[in-house]
Amino acid sequence: MTAIPLHKGLYGRPAPYPEACEPLEEVGAARPADAAAAMAFALARLTGAADPRPLVLVTTAAWVRERGRPFARGLVRWGAGPGRLVWVRANKEAEALWALEEALKSGAVAGGLASVEAPAFVATRRLDFAARAGKAVGMLVRVEPAQDLSAARRRWRIESRPSGGEAFDAAAPGATRLRAELVRRRDGPPGAWTLEQDDETGRLRLDPGLADHRVDAVEPGGVDVVRRLASAAA
Amino acid sequence: MRSSREGSTSSAASRPPPPEDALHEGAPFALVEGGAHGLTLLALNRAARAAGLYRGQSHADARAILPDLLSAPAEPERDLAALKRLALWAERYSPCVAADARAGGYEGLLLDMTGGAHLFGGEAALLADLRGRLAGAGVPARLAIADTPAAAWGLARFSAHDLSTHDGVVAPAGRTREAIAGLPMEALRLEAEALSLLRRFGLKRIGDLYGLPRAGLARRFRGEAGLRLVERLDQALGAASEPLVPERPAPLYRAWTQFAEPLTDIEGVGFHLPDLARTLAGELERDGQGARRLRLTAFRVDGRVTTIEAGLSASSAAPAHMTRLLREKGLERLDLGFGVDALMLAACRAEPAWTRQGEMAGGPRAQAGDSQAADSQALAGLIDRLQARLGEGAVRRPALRESWVPERSEAWTPAAPAQPPAPAEADARLRPILLLDPPEPVEAIAELPDGVPARFVWRRAPRQVVKADGPERLSPEWWRDPAAGRTENPALARTRDYYRVEDDQGRRYWLFREGLYNREDLDRAPSWWMHGVFP
Repeated sequence: MTAIPLHKGLYGRPAPYPEACEPLEEVGAARPADAAAAMAFALARLTGAADPRPLVLVTTAAWVRERGRPFARGLVRWGAGPGRLVWVRANKEAEALWALEEALKSGAVAGGLASVEAPAFVATRRLDFAARAGKAVGMLVRVEPAQDLSAARRRWRIESRPSGGEAFDAAAPGATRLRAELVRRRDGPPGAWTLEQDDETGRLRLDPGLADHRVDAVEPGGVDVVRRLASAAA
Repeated sequence: MRSSREGSTSSAASRPPPPEDALHEGAPFALVEGGAHGLTLLALNRAARAAGLYRGQSHADARAILPDLLSAPAEPERDLAALKRLALWAERYSPCVAADARAGGYEGLLLDMTGGAHLFGGEAALLADLRGRLAGAGVPARLAIADTPAAAWGLARFSAHDLSTHDGVVAPAGRTREAIAGLPMEALRLEAEALSLLRRFGLKRIGDLYGLPRAGLARRFRGEAGLRLVERLDQALGAASEPLVPERPAPLYRAWTQFAEPLTDIEGVGFHLPDLARTLAGELERDGQGARRLRLTAFRVDGRVTTIEAGLSASSAAPAHMTRLLREKGLERLDLGFGVDALMLAACRAEPAWTRQGEMAGGPRAQAGDSQAADSQALAGLIDRLQARLGEGAVRRPALRESWVPERSEAWTPAAPAQPPAPAEADARLRPILLLDPPEPVEAIAELPDGVPARFVWRRAPRQVVKADGPERLSPEWWRDPAAGRTENPALARTRDYYRVEDDQGRRYWLFREGLYNREDLDRAPSWWMHGVFP
């Protein structure tokens, strides 16, 4: 039996945060109250690529009722300016999935984001194909993290984190900080990262830990999975 | 103008239907309406007319003459609805169809056939075709075609020909004067007083008026009735114009196809749709136009139409796009009934074709300009398809507005591919990405009455505030009516103090307190509301 040093991860060092997007990714909020954080994370990943095409936001009626409607003045800070944003209001989840698929395969949009609860495996597979056909990125934002089957190549789990505090006002909330855990991926080991929004660019960056040393810049990647793999190898 | 009128007796479309056997056996039947002097006959079938009954006779008199007269109350609204339905169906003959719904059993349709009769093999053949189709749909009709609507109106109703067996009267072009000379005065659509006056003078036929001096005629028939006499005569003879008001504005471009055998399944319609779209696109392209709204009309054999419509966010003359859009809208929504024998695809709204000038050829950005135009077109197509399936207004784009009030600071307008103009300067203030609209009430506890909240309960979950930023004070827009927003949900009738707060779980919210302590609206204490969620 060969021992794998757990603190180093499977490949010897913690996996880097994957900046590039897969055609279809799934972003789940750790708890329902983290829905906004999950949506912001998905948007930040969509707008990360330098693609000037519009972005499509698909919501179901139930989701809007429960979580609120998109607010363009706030979305501007996440790279989705009013000139790029298209909001599609679907009634039911099946319509939302159809609308996202249409948008992705049309080739007219850089990416699409849909709020869905429980997409069927076939639907996610169709979305994956559509996204590759249209050279776009699809993001499924789910409120309840699920273990079900999905064709999404990455499955994220997003949790809000206490912010580091404002530089000039210790009592005020600082820049958005969240913990993104890559629960499942095809091209490498899972991992978890704490990300913070950059005030100037609006992009998410790895928390450098300079301003606030209490937060680890990089957490040991996917310890559970590594341990499981190790026991399987044994 | 060649104009054709088709007069159908009002009993044809009325419900409840008279007993079937009674009608077939030729039993006298009448529709009655209540009037100032009791029930009067409004419409009669042939058997009743043969027995000597007439329109306007009192029901009691009629029953005295003919004790076994069957009658049913008239339903003018349903007659009108049926007439309008028939008018839509008649668009297969002409884009300009007016439903002439003047009360009193004289309802009918007016079709402007100017320059269109040859498409049906001439005027006589047109009438025969129209009559055959109407008969197939169970609508008895009296048809006439003449130079003016007024002449056609009179000929259809008062011609000496037996129009129940005859196809219809064709008044030869340019000879209206002779054609209507023999008609009774009623054919001029005159008021009752004018008619009785004419009868007293012994003037019975329209031709009797031709020889009389016009000035004297106008003077003698003074007042309302007199003016109408000369005006009506002019309208019938074509000296005064009488424009038709079509039921629906005539579509600008249309393509249509007819089938020898009626189609009964949707697949058949889908099979013919691409051809129609190609024809329509050809017409549009010829004029440099693109469709903004499409209407597919299927003409049923039973004298009704069934339609679907689809809007386009940018004008387009691409047949493939039109076909796809209508399919997306759902051809299965067409109710084909017992079959359709004609399909029409019309562009009800058209605009100059959507083109965008690229960069100069050979320029450094020519390629980029082309791809941008292609992207815009792809986006327009996407928006159309989404709207066709999800409904108009389902696809929206934000337009920022100049207002501090969060609800009013942006509008989500129905999408168009052209980008909405963004405001000149970006707003640097922090705003949530999800807005609760309307705001939700929150129970909050603050250390000071007008201070930062210490904890709050939202959706029954208590939350401890760890960090807070505020207040950001937004005053009501005094130039708006403050009373308009005074409901249980605050629509900025009072001052709001907004706080950005973070709870102990690291979630960030946007709360506001509505109202100022002891300074605003003293009979209502300030209240707390949740307005949005930050990531």
